[in-house]
Amino acid sequence: MDASCRLAVAVEDLFKCFGSLEVLRGLSVSARDGEVIAIIGSSGSGKSTLLRCINMLEVPDSGTVSIAGEAIKLKPRRGGGREPADQVQIDRLRQKLGMVFQSFNLWSHLTVLENVIEAPIHVQKRPKAAAIDEALVILEKVGLTDKRNHYPSQISGGQQQRAAIARALAVQPQLMLFDEPTSALDPELVGEVLRVIRTLAEEGRTMILVTHEMGFAKEVANRVIFLHQGKVEEEGPPSQVFGAPRSERCRQFISSQLRS
Amino acid sequence: MLAGVPLTLQLAFSSIALGLGMAIALALIVRAGLRPLSWLAESYVFVFRGTPLLVQIFLVYYGLGQFRPELQEIGLWWFFRSPYYCALLALTLNTAAYGAEIVRGGLQSVPAGQIEAARAFGMSGLTLYRRIVAPIALRQALPAYGNEIILMIKATSLVSTITLMEVTGLAHKLISETFRSFEVFFAAGTIYLLMNFVVTRLIDLAERWIAPDLKRENRVAMVPLDTR
Ligand SMILES: Nc1ncnc2c1ncn2[C@@H]1O[C@H](COP(=O)(O)OP(=O)(O)OP(=O)(O)O)[C@@H](O)[C@H]1O
Ligand SMILES: [Mg+2]
Repeated sequence: MDASCRLAVAVEDLFKCFGSLEVLRGLSVSARDGEVIAIIGSSGSGKSTLLRCINMLEVPDSGTVSIAGEAIKLKPRRGGGREPADQVQIDRLRQKLGMVFQSFNLWSHLTVLENVIEAPIHVQKRPKAAAIDEALVILEKVGLTDKRNHYPSQISGGQQQRAAIARALAVQPQLMLFDEPTSALDPELVGEVLRVIRTLAEEGRTMILVTHEMGFAKEVANRVIFLHQGKVEEEGPPSQVFGAPRSERCRQFISSQLRS
Repeated sequence: MLAGVPLTLQLAFSSIALGLGMAIALALIVRAGLRPLSWLAESYVFVFRGTPLLVQIFLVYYGLGQFRPELQEIGLWWFFRSPYYCALLALTLNTAAYGAEIVRGGLQSVPAGQIEAARAFGMSGLTLYRRIVAPIALRQALPAYGNEIILMIKATSLVSTITLMEVTGLAHKLISETFRSFEVFFAAGTIYLLMNFVVTRLIDLAERWIAPDLKRENRVAMVPLDTR
């Protein structure tokens, strides 16, 4: 396999239930290096759960997750389900993933700059001066240089989400995970965040993006995956998924999204 | 009466320092939920918050005094013979119980999403506690804890009942000599007020330093009403 088509992440045959609710039911997804994948699907179809299983915020009941070719080790847990077998491995692999949450989840006791340098310094053990230099470059890129000494509570939602993207970029991730990064934002703030994500896509970063912004997915994604009840119902290039979906459910979902 | 100020402050701050250590331990035990241990910690908090401090002071000083031979045998009599140590012990045990509740509330208030974000970046264990959970809990708990400090300074006046000559003890003595209750107690009250004025200022500075982004009104709104 040549380097350009290495798998940044491979998820195979994932099952996950919460109590009696089966959320993921045999889901397989993979992302090659440099690929931008958009995940769409109706509410409750398992999109967030999939992203959370990729970085083990949620541990799948069965199936495997591999990050950059390395399978995450899991072991059975007493009382059902599984749990991480090797926390050190998980912490190490998580540093390859930059997660951006729907509700930002910036650390409220740290300024924007401190949020960005936190993981590089205290997880990756990089020298502070170097981390700050790099953070300033990233903050410039997301347009937050002038807000670097503000606390999360002092800036707008759009700025908070851009800060959260900067925080994710700072760990130099091989894969960025976005869980509906704009759906908690006022409509007038969506654009500034999408602009930043678009720049990242153009740079060739590997990204998995859960979104309800169909137009944006069509524009930035190399591949679109439509989830339905915890399975991949339709998958292909945006032109196919949006233009000529094979699945009737996918067609209905897309037309309902375009109408609203 | 001013001569009693050092003893008052010494009792207040030693018990607060020792009690805070205990409070954090108690809160972590309750949070960890290890059955017999967390149950004990919860009962401790319940008992010490549910009974008057004055009764606790009497129990330690007079109550345990009844067991003098046994205490002498195990070599602890020097401690329980001293009204100062007994007062310090009772105050510490009492503030630890209140403090445990404050710390527990602080820990509980840390948003799950922020802990999750830290995990997602590969933080775990002690680093997660030290870098994320503890500082956020501290921001939330500080106003309530400042309140606790003020209550403790006032609560030290109760130790005058076991012969300690702090501000209130000296006030009693002065009254028995002069019979001027109003003036003397008025002056004593003023001394407590001045001490708490300074302490309030210091707490406010600490809050400003630890949570510079929170507005004062929001911080004060988080202080629970609590009197002893
Ligand atoms: N921790 C949990 N405990 C119990 N149920 C959960 C948990 N997390 C998710 N669920 C349930 O699992 C289902 C799928 O959730 P998920 O968040 O993956 O959906 P989603 O596709 O992201 O939906 P949305 O578009 O609303 O974000 C939902 O019905 C949700 O209520
Ligand atoms: Mg979701």
